[in-house]
Amino acid sequence: MAITGREAFLGRVRGALSKSAGVPEPDNATHLGLTDEDVSAAASAVRREMSDNADALVDAVAESAATAGWKVRRVASPEDAADVVAQICVDAGVSNVLRSDQDVFNSVPVDAALAAQGITPSVATVGQAAQDVPGLKQAAFDAEVGITGVDYAIAETGTVVLHPREGLSRLVSLAPGRHIAILNRGDVLPSLDELFTLERSDYNAGEIEGSMNLISGPSRTGDIAATIVDGIHGPFEVHLVIVG
Amino acid sequence: MLPKTENFKRGAAETLADPIIQESMEAVYNGFHTNRQSAGAATEGWDDQRDRGRAIKEHTIANLDYYLNMLADNVDANGGNVFFAPDSAAASEYILNLARDRDVKTVIKSKSMVSEEMSLAHEMEAVGIEAVETDLGEYIIQLAGEAPYHIIAPAIHKSQDQVAEMFKETTGVDPGDTPEELTITARGMLRETFQRADMSVTGVNFAVAESGSIVLVTNEGNGRMCTSIPRVHVAVMGMEKIVPSIQDLSMMLRILIRSATGQRISSYVTMVNGPRRDEEEDGPEEFHLVIVDNGRMRLLEDPKLREALYCLRCGACLNACPVYRKVGGHSYGWVYPGPIGAVVSPVLSGLKQGKDLPFASSLCGACKEVCPVRIDIPNMLLHLRNEVAEGPSESRGSGRMERLGWKAWRFGNMKSGRFRRGGKMANFLGRPFARDGMFRRLPPPLSGWTRSRDLPLTTSTPFRDRFKKRRQRGEG
Ligand code: SF4
Repeated sequence: MAITGREAFLGRVRGALSKSAGVPEPDNATHLGLTDEDVSAAASAVRREMSDNADALVDAVAESAATAGWKVRRVASPEDAADVVAQICVDAGVSNVLRSDQDVFNSVPVDAALAAQGITPSVATVGQAAQDVPGLKQAAFDAEVGITGVDYAIAETGTVVLHPREGLSRLVSLAPGRHIAILNRGDVLPSLDELFTLERSDYNAGEIEGSMNLISGPSRTGDIAATIVDGIHGPFEVHLVIVG
Repeated sequence: MLPKTENFKRGAAETLADPIIQESMEAVYNGFHTNRQSAGAATEGWDDQRDRGRAIKEHTIANLDYYLNMLADNVDANGGNVFFAPDSAAASEYILNLARDRDVKTVIKSKSMVSEEMSLAHEMEAVGIEAVETDLGEYIIQLAGEAPYHIIAPAIHKSQDQVAEMFKETTGVDPGDTPEELTITARGMLRETFQRADMSVTGVNFAVAESGSIVLVTNEGNGRMCTSIPRVHVAVMGMEKIVPSIQDLSMMLRILIRSATGQRISSYVTMVNGPRRDEEEDGPEEFHLVIVDNGRMRLLEDPKLREALYCLRCGACLNACPVYRKVGGHSYGWVYPGPIGAVVSPVLSGLKQGKDLPFASSLCGACKEVCPVRIDIPNMLLHLRNEVAEGPSESRGSGRMERLGWKAWRFGNMKSGRFRRGGKMANFLGRPFARDGMFRRLPPPLSGWTRSRDLPLTTSTPFRDRFKKRRQRGEG
């Protein structure tokens, strides 16, 4: 698009630093010096670790997610996961349920489990729940529960990572009062370091999304009387259902 | 925001005389401070992480031209716009023109200290654009017509009764009085605003040069609302808020968040890589990044002050500072309070205006001790005191005692290796005035603040009055 006022500004920066334009000396402080090959090799190693250590990582994230404020349920099968999701909706006494359009719903039969409870979820896409973006926004704000998959979880921090894209609205995990995230074994990263290694590798390959959200517990504030209260703007209740 | 930094003495005296603020704040800061201290201590390799964080900032700021250039190229490649603003006036003009041009009615803001520098919300209201702060603390102080009290907890000085009163005046219904009830009330008020917003202005915790991304850290989720709902997203950053690589983010996020709140991670971290992609379901159609100088070049060009640009705005030095804890955030009179504010505010707003601020410290060194990037604030304060004292006589506003105090400091620090002793001496001198490690009365050369009491801090028209007017006109 457009860049305005750059040359004069950079001229002043160089003046203040008493330096001329040029490429910095390589410095180990930043990762920038790593080559694309280094990064993609590191990303492959991360993916291997995710599958080699899947059991330990899923145990670790179950614990850290609970600490971060997720209500964690571990189940053995996709069918059990769908039943747990439906039961959460029933227990909460809600009927207005919205879900994303992600692959996870092909393996975890959430729609059927909800239907058995008399609940028909809407699908949070412009094509289905709404005809346009404002309609989708309205649907997301009206919904009582939003259900999504999980791109990655992070064991270090109890974090769910989502990249909004086609089928995954930015609002479905944010606007409803409750968010249920369904995590598959094998999608857990050890720490933030591995997440950003994968992101960088994707970026180098030209595959970065418009945005990324790291979600670690409910929406929280401490701004009134320094008391922590859940659910100021986003969900006040977040559930992590771990399959396998 | 127009600097009122020359009012430091008045503001400090007011706060010191306010028993409610004094009592509530002490408990809170202790909580904050203890949380982050134990989080730091419990973090394996905390000191090593801080060293690495500092090294990243050192390298980036030393090559700032190169990384800003790279950042601009990549935001552009992502389909965003970049505006380099020499000062806050240019930045607000760009944003206001954009808002008018895109026919914007309602702007939602997510904690941005830089937009406070330009009083952006006021400027927007002045031209008839509704501008609503969406961080709950910022929202509360906007209703009160005040400035942020703390970088991380802007409304920390408001009691829940005061908040209840303001909500009642704004909504006309009883919002309850527990923090939970009040939060639910605020949720309702703000959700309605989110839904009709057509533009957002957010801050930037980190900008990534190699990918043209910006990163926002929040617990409330207002940052996510701001990057999900409106048609236009404008992110405003000080020119120093940059890291070279995506991979540098993990370390920087860790040290920022642990220092800010003691959490392992905040509820939300959002990374924005330009406007929404075509196939996406929702998200802003336009992305603008405004990169602001507004006096930062003066920090950059002085090798003794340059490291102030490493600051992550985590607020840890505020909580640690015995002077801040006593005199409160408003006494500093400009956007940035506390130890780092005492360095940054006078330089950014003009040293003449803020000549008292470099003296707003006992140089006890607690700020440097907790800083996640080990910024040597005491040393910079000494340097600024020097500049105040050696400047033209009309800017030499410090009284005789203050100058004497400063001379003693300079003497104590003239030779390398003396600094440590200087710091100890400050503690020693301060001891007769301290109880529980807090200064009840400030020791010289700061005692002038505890004695003078003049005018209260002035505020502009409270936001809730304007809000009410709009509602009466049936537009709220
Ligand atoms: S100076 Fe250091 S401790 Fe203070 S706000 Fe900045 S980064 Fe945090």
